[in-house]
Amino acid sequence: MNEYELADVSVGMTQEFSVTVTTGMAAGFVEISGDANPLHVDKHYAGDKGFRDRVVHGMLTSAFYSTLVGVYLPGKYCLLQGIKVTFHQPVFAGDELKVRGEVTHVSEALRVMTVRGSITNQHGDTVSKAQIQVGFI
Amino acid sequence: MTGEDIHSRLQAIFRDVFDNDTLVVTRATTVGDIPDWDSLAQINLVVAIEKDFEIKVSLEDLETLSNVGDMMDLIRTSVTP
Repeated sequence: MNEYELADVSVGMTQEFSVTVTTGMAAGFVEISGDANPLHVDKHYAGDKGFRDRVVHGMLTSAFYSTLVGVYLPGKYCLLQGIKVTFHQPVFAGDELKVRGEVTHVSEALRVMTVRGSITNQHGDTVSKAQIQVGFI
Repeated sequence: MTGEDIHSRLQAIFRDVFDNDTLVVTRATTVGDIPDWDSLAQINLVVAIEKDFEIKVSLEDLETLSNVGDMMDLIRTSVTP
């Protein structure tokens, strides 16, 4: 886990990590959230709607933004204050995702920074984007 | 930048931060006038002001901000002519 403090970060600083989404993660998210919409749990239903498999919850993949700031940028001293996320492509179990963050704004007085986040899949497609506001504790 | 320009952009920031397209703020608007104006909203407002007007707000500046008029004055004195 990184331990960047406010004085260590600057605009343009980046961090990234990779993660493979598994069926176990998807099942776990259904259990945690209670969102058992058939698009997420019924392969035939998802196929009828034009998807090659069950679609992984966008909010599951968004959890990786929490990891991005809580573990990588800045890491230990992070206090997540808000995220605006948009979804651009479906994610399926087995997809290999690259989660990337870049510092776009730092406010020393407020002890806050803004991170532009993005997640891309193994094909290079952007599956989601995020604006993340992070405080330092 | 005129006071009207600053007010117009600041009002847009308030509407975005409070997710209220009809919100109207004046120089006299204070924390007590907007129910959702809590400490995190204050952070969001100041971050948005820094980004929109491309200024840096200092710790000393923060302590002077008690209403919208204070914010407008800070912006006016901070922006590059």
